[in-house]
Amino acid sequence: MRTALAILKKDLRMEFRSKESILAMWIFSLLIFVIFNFTFEVSRLVMLEIAPGLLWVAFIFSGIFGLNQSFAIEKENGNLRSMALMPVDGGSIYLGKFLSVTTIMLLFEALIFPIFIIFYDLHLSWEMLLLIPVILAGTIGFTSLGTILSAVAVHTRNHQILLSLLLWPLVSPIIIWSVTMTGMVLNAEVVQGFYPLLLRVVAFDIIFFTLSFMLFEFILEE
Amino acid sequence: METALKLENISKDFGRIIALRNVSLDLMQGEFISILGRNGAGKTTLLNIISGTSKPSQGSVLLFGTDPSDRTTKAKLAVISHEMFLYNNLTALENLEYYASIYRVENPGQRVLEVLAEVELTHRRFDLTGTFSRGMLQRLTIARAILHEPSMLLLDEPFTGLDQHAIAMLSTLLLKQKSKGRTILLTTHDLHLAVELSDRYIILDRHAIVEDGNISETSPEDLRTRFFQPLEKAGETV
Repeated sequence: MRTALAILKKDLRMEFRSKESILAMWIFSLLIFVIFNFTFEVSRLVMLEIAPGLLWVAFIFSGIFGLNQSFAIEKENGNLRSMALMPVDGGSIYLGKFLSVTTIMLLFEALIFPIFIIFYDLHLSWEMLLLIPVILAGTIGFTSLGTILSAVAVHTRNHQILLSLLLWPLVSPIIIWSVTMTGMVLNAEVVQGFYPLLLRVVAFDIIFFTLSFMLFEFILEE
Repeated sequence: METALKLENISKDFGRIIALRNVSLDLMQGEFISILGRNGAGKTTLLNIISGTSKPSQGSVLLFGTDPSDRTTKAKLAVISHEMFLYNNLTALENLEYYASIYRVENPGQRVLEVLAEVELTHRRFDLTGTFSRGMLQRLTIARAILHEPSMLLLDEPFTGLDQHAIAMLSTLLLKQKSKGRTILLTTHDLHLAVELSDRYIILDRHAIVEDGNISETSPEDLRTRFFQPLEKAGETV
């Protein structure tokens, strides 16, 4: 745990100093909201139909940028190799990187969500609190898998493309369920199917995290 | 003296490309050995195998009697190469604090300041390493490497790109490490430095050891002759 916390502290310190990831992710998402808001002149009902998808498009595209950035800083000056030389297990390194990527992404989501509410003229309600577990579970699923795949892809020349290619097929069920649940909450239609879906996402999170934690050691090897 | 490193018939290939062939080597604790050889001879591959970041295709490696990928063995090792293993966006102090935490250094605050003083970078401790010159980065790399008091240092062409002042400083630092009883493996193209610093040398050519000798029995000129003759010698031994 000490190793993971050291990596988390180091990554957050670097991120808050440069604000490279968060700022780029925020601007990118803002652009998505602005473009879609002014492109489609649709009724509020239709907008409520497409808003959950837009929110997750912003989260995921920006998240991929964050994931790429996370291991790009490790590639600089051979730090990825220094990780392989550390007297710690790969799982601890994975946990550290996972925690830093997830923290940065959740922070970005917290910053962009109010903008989303304003742009799409959504009414705040207590029911919206249900979005917290939805966003948390969806984000953790995305980052738990994204962290290990980013470590795999960073060794290649076109790592940004490769990461997207590897990540999309595997993470798409989580994204689809998260979009569905977000739609239910935004439309104030939380039905019986909501909680089983949430449980399904959580189950995927646990599977992805456990597998990645166990396999990360092999990623660090040559 | 105990054996620090034992390599037995190490071979390494990357598909059809051969990197090392039947390399055997015994190294005693406290010994300083220079590995000489032209580009592509297999020096870096050999260091990667010793450090456990690469597995040999054949043969066995024992570092302090155990496997190099073992966690306790890794804690006894430090690698210095042309890659700095530092973060440009962190200060010198933050970089060392990070490594001190990873390597579980006792009394990290004090130790970090000690090594910074040793490499004469105390006055720059609050500066981002991205603003450092190549020589200063290399000194900080040394500080990072000796932070956890390793028993063995692996140095992969650490003098590359350094000016004369930085080379002299790095040489002094290495001799200091040697005087502390640390085992040191250095790959270099600089024969003078090899003679000045080490106790022993090996010459790698065509991915195999073609010469293994004591520095005390040779001069830089001698070494130069031996270094440039390995092709003929390789014909006899490889």
